[in-house]
Amino acid sequence: MTATPAKRPKSPPIPTQALLAKIFHWTNLISLFVMLFSGLQIYNANPVFGGRGGWHFPDFLTLGGWLGGGRSWHFAAMWFYALNLLWYGLYVLISRRWQKRFASGGDVKALRVSQNAKRKNYALHRLVYTAIIPILLLSIASGLAMYKPASFHWLSNSFINWQTLRTIHFAAVPVIILFTFIHSLLALKVGTLRLVRSMFI
Amino acid sequence: MSKLISRRHLLQWSGLSSASLLLSSCGSTLGSSEVGQVFEPLNQATQALLLSQKPVPEFSVSAIEPDKLLINTFDQTPQIDPAKYRLQIEGEVNHPIQLSLTDLQTLPLTSMVIRHVCVEGWSAIVQWGGVRLHELLRLAQPKSSARYVYFKSADGYYESWDLASATHPQTLMAYQKNDQPLSADNGAPLRLASPIKLGYKQSKWVTQIVLTNQLMPTKGYWEDQGYEWFGGL
Repeated sequence: MTATPAKRPKSPPIPTQALLAKIFHWTNLISLFVMLFSGLQIYNANPVFGGRGGWHFPDFLTLGGWLGGGRSWHFAAMWFYALNLLWYGLYVLISRRWQKRFASGGDVKALRVSQNAKRKNYALHRLVYTAIIPILLLSIASGLAMYKPASFHWLSNSFINWQTLRTIHFAAVPVIILFTFIHSLLALKVGTLRLVRSMFI
Repeated sequence: MSKLISRRHLLQWSGLSSASLLLSSCGSTLGSSEVGQVFEPLNQATQALLLSQKPVPEFSVSAIEPDKLLINTFDQTPQIDPAKYRLQIEGEVNHPIQLSLTDLQTLPLTSMVIRHVCVEGWSAIVQWGGVRLHELLRLAQPKSSARYVYFKSADGYYESWDLASATHPQTLMAYQKNDQPLSADNGAPLRLASPIKLGYKQSKWVTQIVLTNQLMPTKGYWEDQGYEWFGGL
């Protein structure tokens, strides 16, 4: 990637992604959206903000039709969502992808001192998609703490109180939607649609 | 030029995906019960695996949240004359018994401060006082074939539990709430209380406990509408 001032090819090489990275992206995207819409259905049974008198999400944003249906979808999709993250995490560790594909001190330095706009975008994007990992993990931890507060009482009690726990779990919704937008926009900026497409097809 | 095409493709792609997401949500119950049926065995096995006979750590008395416990009933609140009240324990037992409130109150009182968790998402830290169900079942002497415990309530509500959860040391037949006698709204004279099951499993106004060797087609009022049966916490 070092700059050779000689002529550059007209179109850069088509980016390729590991098949496992594509499988992870598809499973993550689909299971996450099932979690999100069924989660809003569950939310409506007793809104985190305001309880029964609180504002409810409109029906077209909910999945399941009623609380029981929302829970059925939520506790089915959780397996795909959590296990997908687990095997991908192991793959990233074992294949040492974490050394090359995720944010490092170099990216932080590039953001601070680099004059190269492309390098800065690239660094910013790596930081953004690395930062979502603890957020995804936190949504699993807070979900587990609410789903099994007796079995995982130590986890539930580490979230201060029930309202804080519910709020943190719910916060995953706006944070993940925001992340999806920023991640997509930065990917387009860094590698155009070719990069985005390479991650799915 | 290539940028234009890219943008158009992107718009098409995002339009298609959001349309399909909207179609798939729509607030309909379509597929919910099928998804529930497919995944409930896995979820239930996981919950049964997580179930421990060790007591769940309790909260301090100062942590009690008296205003947080909401009242949920599927029908009317029955008014029961405490003097005439009897709890029947029968089914797969060697000694079917009938207990009055006085009988129940002479048995050892267990008090606990636990988190009551509703399927709707709210919770409340509550003190419950009553008799361990394990103790009551011991009086009736369950047969070795007993696997499940059915609870029938004065208002027509019905529930069923696995025997292991029913004999958990913190599963109580409670007649006290927050150090006061139980109110009619909260299930007086006698209700189930436990930190290991969701609120809809914790029947109020319990009049009959029936041990069975199998699960009937009717598992519980809410379960028969589609809530999961195990409802473990």
